[in-house]
Amino acid sequence: MTRLAESLRRGGIFVWFAGTSLAFCLAMILGLVGYIAARGLGFFWPSPLVQVKTAEGLVLGEITGHEPAHGEETGKLQFRVGNRDIYGQDFRWVPTVGLGAPAEPKDAVLLERTEYGPFIGRITAISHQGTVAVQGAGALAEAARRLPESRRLLEEVQATEKGKVGELNRRMERLRIDRKGLEAKGDQAAMQALDAQVAALQSTYEALQTTIDQTRTEAKSWVLDLETADGQKKELPLSSVVRIVAANNLSVTDRLGIYLSRMWEFLADDPRESNTEGGIFPAIFGTVMMVLVMSVLVVPLGVVTALYLREYARQGWLVRAVRVAVNNLAGVPSIVFGVFGLGFFVYTLGGGIDRLFFADALPTPTYGTGGIIWASLTLALLTVPVVVVATEEALGAVARSQREASLAMGATKWQTLWNVVLPSAAPGILTGLILAIARGAGEVAPLMLTGVVKLAPSMPLDGTFPFFHFDRKFMHLGFHIYDVGFQSPNSEAAKPMVFMASLLLLAVVVVLNIFALNLRRKLRARLGGSTF
Amino acid sequence: MASSSNIQSRAKRVDKFMAFAISGGGLFMIGAVLAMLLFILKEAAPLFLPPSVRPAPTLQPGSMGGLWLDESGKAAVLVSRETGIRAIRLPEGTPLPTPQGGPELPWRTLTPPNTRGETLVTGADGRIWMARLTWTKPPGENDPSRWELNPQWQGGILLEAAPSRILHARLLEGGGLGSSARLRLAAEVGTSISWLEAPLEAGPAVAWKPLPLPPGNKVSSALWSADGATLTLGTEAGQLLMVEVESGNLLASAEFGEPVNALGAPLGQSSVLVGGTKGRLAAFQRARLGEEFQFRAFHEFPRLSGPVLGFQSSLRDKRFLAWTAREAVVDHLTTERRLMAVSLTGAGSASLAPRGDLILHADELGALHSWTLDAPHPEVSFGLLWGKTQYEGYGKPEYVWQSTGGADDFEPKFSLVPLVFGTLKGTLYAMLFAFPLAVLGALYTSQFATPGLRNVIKPAVEIMAALPSVVLGFLAGLVMAPMLERTAVEVLLYPFCLLLAVAIAAPFWSRLSTPFRNRFGTGRETLWIVPILILAVGMTMFAGPLVERLFMGGNYRTWLQSALGITYDQRNSIVVGFAMGFAVIPIIFTISEDALSSVPRSLTSASLACGASPWQTAWRVVLPTASPGIFSATMVGLGRAIGETMIVLMATGNTPVMDWGPFNGMRTLSANIAVEIPEAPLHGTLYRVLFLAAFLLFLFTFVLNTVAELVRQHLRRRYESI
Repeated sequence: MTRLAESLRRGGIFVWFAGTSLAFCLAMILGLVGYIAARGLGFFWPSPLVQVKTAEGLVLGEITGHEPAHGEETGKLQFRVGNRDIYGQDFRWVPTVGLGAPAEPKDAVLLERTEYGPFIGRITAISHQGTVAVQGAGALAEAARRLPESRRLLEEVQATEKGKVGELNRRMERLRIDRKGLEAKGDQAAMQALDAQVAALQSTYEALQTTIDQTRTEAKSWVLDLETADGQKKELPLSSVVRIVAANNLSVTDRLGIYLSRMWEFLADDPRESNTEGGIFPAIFGTVMMVLVMSVLVVPLGVVTALYLREYARQGWLVRAVRVAVNNLAGVPSIVFGVFGLGFFVYTLGGGIDRLFFADALPTPTYGTGGIIWASLTLALLTVPVVVVATEEALGAVARSQREASLAMGATKWQTLWNVVLPSAAPGILTGLILAIARGAGEVAPLMLTGVVKLAPSMPLDGTFPFFHFDRKFMHLGFHIYDVGFQSPNSEAAKPMVFMASLLLLAVVVVLNIFALNLRRKLRARLGGSTF
Repeated sequence: MASSSNIQSRAKRVDKFMAFAISGGGLFMIGAVLAMLLFILKEAAPLFLPPSVRPAPTLQPGSMGGLWLDESGKAAVLVSRETGIRAIRLPEGTPLPTPQGGPELPWRTLTPPNTRGETLVTGADGRIWMARLTWTKPPGENDPSRWELNPQWQGGILLEAAPSRILHARLLEGGGLGSSARLRLAAEVGTSISWLEAPLEAGPAVAWKPLPLPPGNKVSSALWSADGATLTLGTEAGQLLMVEVESGNLLASAEFGEPVNALGAPLGQSSVLVGGTKGRLAAFQRARLGEEFQFRAFHEFPRLSGPVLGFQSSLRDKRFLAWTAREAVVDHLTTERRLMAVSLTGAGSASLAPRGDLILHADELGALHSWTLDAPHPEVSFGLLWGKTQYEGYGKPEYVWQSTGGADDFEPKFSLVPLVFGTLKGTLYAMLFAFPLAVLGALYTSQFATPGLRNVIKPAVEIMAALPSVVLGFLAGLVMAPMLERTAVEVLLYPFCLLLAVAIAAPFWSRLSTPFRNRFGTGRETLWIVPILILAVGMTMFAGPLVERLFMGGNYRTWLQSALGITYDQRNSIVVGFAMGFAVIPIIFTISEDALSSVPRSLTSASLACGASPWQTAWRVVLPTASPGIFSATMVGLGRAIGETMIVLMATGNTPVMDWGPFNGMRTLSANIAVEIPEAPLHGTLYRVLFLAAFLLFLFTFVLNTVAELVRQHLRRRYESI
């Protein structure tokens, strides 16, 4: 007993408890990252379609979840049965009790569609313009053979709609605003000229529309006859099929092909079905653009402030106070920056710009509503302390002897700063910038108030003059996670997408951080090691 | 030589310019930080500005019995028994075209128009008419001289007996297509109070239905409810009676304390404004308190001088006008704020514009006085934001946040208390989870871990600090919350099982040979604990269902509900605490670790040399010395938790409840801003209140961080002096 008391007093066991806390923290980090990676990366792998016989009939789908028996409740299997247009929901819970032997029918297919999520069932026939072309077992192969052509036609239509028709619409809108201006002036001749232009545009538009309609009809001419596991029939034009996955009849290379093709679609395509399917390219692009604009803004702001504080300001209590204030700015909640961005940048500054330069378009706001420039400015303000602190540290680490050597040679203060101090401090500034980017890329709350949207009709950078559109709203990875996970009507089906988006965001932020922290460590080691 | 001096002077000019530019830029940036704070404050400040009242020139349009103001405040309609309806332009007083039509003049009685422009008239022939005053305005036309006044006359109701005094009329809109509007009248007929309902058209004579009132009540005023089902009566004996007219039942009664002189209804008409002959001004409502309904005063306004003559309410918010022969006031129902008080030159009639920004008073001599009132945010006061307020429909004063409602006559409830409460609650749960883990982890890392392990742990935890909160929020809301719902018992048991597992496993460790321990163990205990963590998971999976079966009857949720009366929300405080703790741990850990590991070596060496064990040294020497650093770390962590938005937004139900319980949610200041500001109209009250919330957050975190920084600097100096 005394030995126990003694050992408690000496506290060896408490060391273990302390170690446990740490181990728990580390396990949490690893668990979180691992869980997200597993759920996200696993999603694209084509899983087998399992068919079971229940009391209510056959159920065919991917097994997505399992709930063990708990208390009085029996165990349950979650099937992703797809066919939202037929069943009304994508998922079904099936009790494991009294379940027949699971089968993996070879002819089961999963069709990724442009609407209503995937179809899971069988292809019974494929017909062209109302007459059956192939029936039975060959239909699947024929459909797979026809699919690329159908996709190509559809992409053509989409490209025309997005490019040419969009351009026409923008020109018409411009003319409409011009006409409004002329109406106010009462310039009849100019108005007639404008009307003629509008008419010309209108006829071009109609011609385009005819071509589009023709291509559409052509794309729709191939139709699949489908049957679900429980025998319900459906016809589906081949044009609304994105991908055919004969999930139970695939070799490993086929699977890998589908995996990579899905991954590519995710990274490079536009979203479908209110963001729950398709890709997230616009979100990635929006995030990158926003971060780039932010970087362009934050570096001069941060570096100039740090230069002032460290090199120009007279050191005293005021500078110390300012330094504390700048440091503390890093601890101010991001939502407060968002509120400031909304009130000052969007409403005050943007509203002012609108009244001065875009009065014709009012009351439709141009800059007086959220936009990428306001979001970037807000985030620049948010991340400026990071850059200031890093730059100050880097400036302070430049050896005094180097400066003095430069000054002794007759260089002015600015020449010394520009040629000696700043080059030495550059890696430190870079570290600050990377940390700022990592912080900025992960922030969502301020963006929600200053310009992020769930679905942006056009990118902030495109082929129309002036190419970069500072006033446009944009999509963002982080907001995508929030929106799809929490605002989407079908968040259960969209969950894997959110995991993938999370993984992407996490990867960007973590890689940037590791890079910056390594850089910083190396810098510190180098500067600490060399003394002149 | 010349070129060299040129270069030199150019270099000097550049140097001067850059010095100027950088100083300017630096000062600008510092100014920007300050400006940010000031801007947020500036946007919130108008909430607390006192309303301003400006008198306008007095006009002399001649005597009148009633007034009605247009929405824009640019035109007034004057109604009089002798001359009918006239309109004038404001503020000049020039006459506008007078409409034709209406019952024959002079009228026997006239009930002055209410804010909606409904005027009741008894024509010379004794028939009842109602005019709905409306202006027909060409689109976008702001000049009243181009408007057309259209009094829509309806009625011609024939009464069986002429009333001696009409008390109140209520227009009930037609229930369906084709059915005409109906009118309910309350009046003094002979000696009794009677009522009737009639369609607004000429028809056979309508009979009065007397109300059975308690004897000895001389009624001075009456008010119909919004649906016309009940009638509130004020008596000269100082009683308020609420009567259901169809059945004649007395629903409620209340003592007013002095003879009632006037009754009125604020916007929404769910409560009753009461004015007495001695100037008492109060609002009554019938609300449920516990099991029963109570009819009592729920707002009291400063007394007026003399008998209250009448009320008129705004159509925009809950402000109303009340006047006596000597003064007119505009008060706000919810906040009880007096927005305006002006003195009058005598009795007469007064009117409040529908927007509540213009007040007219016509005295008996025919002079028309007017005042403009600028009170943009009357629904907010300091007391409303921070105190319990009695709202319409609530039985007692409460803290409520409910900024928007379905109807136009909704009473906004802007108490910040539930939000501050939610913020503190979320922070508390996060700290409960994060503080012990982070500080113990930091203590271990700084005192026991080998340098190699430490070099891995520190960057790993720094990476943890960089995890985007939206990812944490998503995991918390969509993965952890459902998981916790299934396994709440197991999760709550886990810490105990873990401690138990460690306590069981550690003694085995001490049996191992010393060389083995030194080579693989000391300083690397953390790695050996990983299997123990897994062991503990196994233990909880065994113990959880057991505990649930033995103590909770097999289902913890029904047990919580029946035994403790707690409902389990899926997105609750435990989830928030866990997720937000995740975000806070690295902050506390890093700063604490810095403070702990920079405790001077001399102190620890002295302790160890005196025979203290490493743990005793760590616990009794290192921890107390570094405690200011840990305090500072906690402050910074608190700051982060208070301002965290995405996690709480996604991991709680965002309901502004006030309950410390771990199984329900909350709404924090920051999440509230994120939810509501996109829909808040620019410069509206909600917008400004949210800016105030942002200012509070700014202030909270700024103070916390400054305190932390000062403490840290103090500690650094102390370390240097040791």
